[in-house]
Amino acid sequence: MSTTTTSKIEYLPRSRRRTLVIIALAGYPVAVAALAALKHTSLNRWLILALFLLLLLLTLAPLTVSYRYARGRIDGRRTRLDERDLALRQQAYALSHRVLTVILIAATAITEIYLTSGNNLRLDANTFWPAAMWVIVYLPALPSLMLAWIETDQPADA
Amino acid sequence: MPDTQRRVHNRLAVLRTERGLSRKQLADKLGINYQTIGYIERGDYNPSLELALTIAELFRLPIEAIFSLKPMTPLSEEIFREPPAEPR
Repeated sequence: MSTTTTSKIEYLPRSRRRTLVIIALAGYPVAVAALAALKHTSLNRWLILALFLLLLLLTLAPLTVSYRYARGRIDGRRTRLDERDLALRQQAYALSHRVLTVILIAATAITEIYLTSGNNLRLDANTFWPAAMWVIVYLPALPSLMLAWIETDQPADA
Repeated sequence: MPDTQRRVHNRLAVLRTERGLSRKQLADKLGINYQTIGYIERGDYNPSLELALTIAELFRLPIEAIFSLKPMTPLSEEIFREPPAEPR
């Protein structure tokens, strides 16, 4: 990514960053749910796949931007992290933990309600891969997304 | 800055401008990122005690002349404030 693009990402206002984080977090579950719902329709398989990929692409773009916004500070690759960066990183990790806890409790509760309502959950590649993909993509990105969420707008240069 | 944290008011922007320093120059002297100076000036980040003391040392001023828990009055007002009338 060019320096100009990186600089633009660095100066994204918080309102825009928060919108990107919401799209990034909600996009994948929406795409998977849409795929599951469309599978039972008479729509052409390739059209369903195209729609799914489009939704994924719309999710990946904000996910990448949000991730790049904070990556250098989360993984410590930025040459000099000062005390504010370190404090912010700590807050981002704490918020990530809270968000992850809420997601896991919600997922467990939904599964429990689904199973106690007389349904069966067959664990195979088709049901497991959406969860596996979520873990692979979102778990490493979550602290960066949270940092992008919490940091206030950068002061104007002076 | 977490919402529960009390705001620390400061005169950093005035002092920095008075000494003709840019945020980048001041940040380099303090060994921090220049954005952090902006966040401190805006009151969005409360510096650690170590950083506050380093700033005070750099400006050769007592720490309470730069940072305060109460909103700060303009420096000129403090310098030219009339002393309280002496009791008779």
